Amino acid sequence: MANTVIGSSIVIDGEISGDEDLVIQGTVKGKISLKESLYVEGSGVVEADIETQNVEIAGRVTGNIVASDKVELKQDCRVVGDIKAPRILIADGASFKGNVDMDQKER
Amino acid sequence: MANTDQTNIIGKGITIRGSLTGGGGLVIEGRVEGQIALKNHLTIESSGIVEADIRADELTINGTASGNIDASTKVSINQSAKVNGDIKATRVVIEDGAVFNGSIEMEVKLPDDI
Repeated sequence: MANTVIGSSIVIDGEISGDEDLVIQGTVKGKISLKESLYVEGSGVVEADIETQNVEIAGRVTGNIVASDKVELKQDCRVVGDIKAPRILIADGASFKGNVDMDQKER
Repeated sequence: MANTDQTNIIGKGITIRGSLTGGGGLVIEGRVEGQIALKNHLTIESSGIVEADIRADELTINGTASGNIDASTKVSINQSAKVNGDIKATRVVIEDGAVFNGSIEMEVKLPDDI
């Protein structure tokens, strides 16, 4: 078993925390805090504040994102919220609304 | 990817607090607290800890579960399982070695003349 997959038919309302990779293809509302990587795939819908090391978003995310390493917004994703991370990548075709804070001072 | 027969996995390092609903099979190796409502098969692996009221079609428990269980077909409590709570299901199987505390209600159709 590689890692945790929240499939497209699953809806979670609440809080997810953990120290392994998480793949979201379904719907998550609430709060996500991880020590590893989060992948929101094309079918994934997240309405949550996210705190993680890495996050890759190809689906829809509404909420504030704090990443200790990297945030990657893929093509066709839709993200609304503030992002705080040392490295932020936004691909051509991604739609994003919110503030970006790369916080160079703290590094 | 919109396949409802897919199996979802909540891995060992993951904790979910809240409600979890949906179709598709689900395997829990981590921790879930709150409520689970599933249209298909739920498996709680031996590393899994569930503190939740569970509604599912079929339920297999190898780990630890506390909360009330309502299954539309079958509940299997296997050897390594520890279960606390009330169970309501058509069929309930408890293996030798399993620990269970609670009540069981099987929906048995009694003959009308009793």
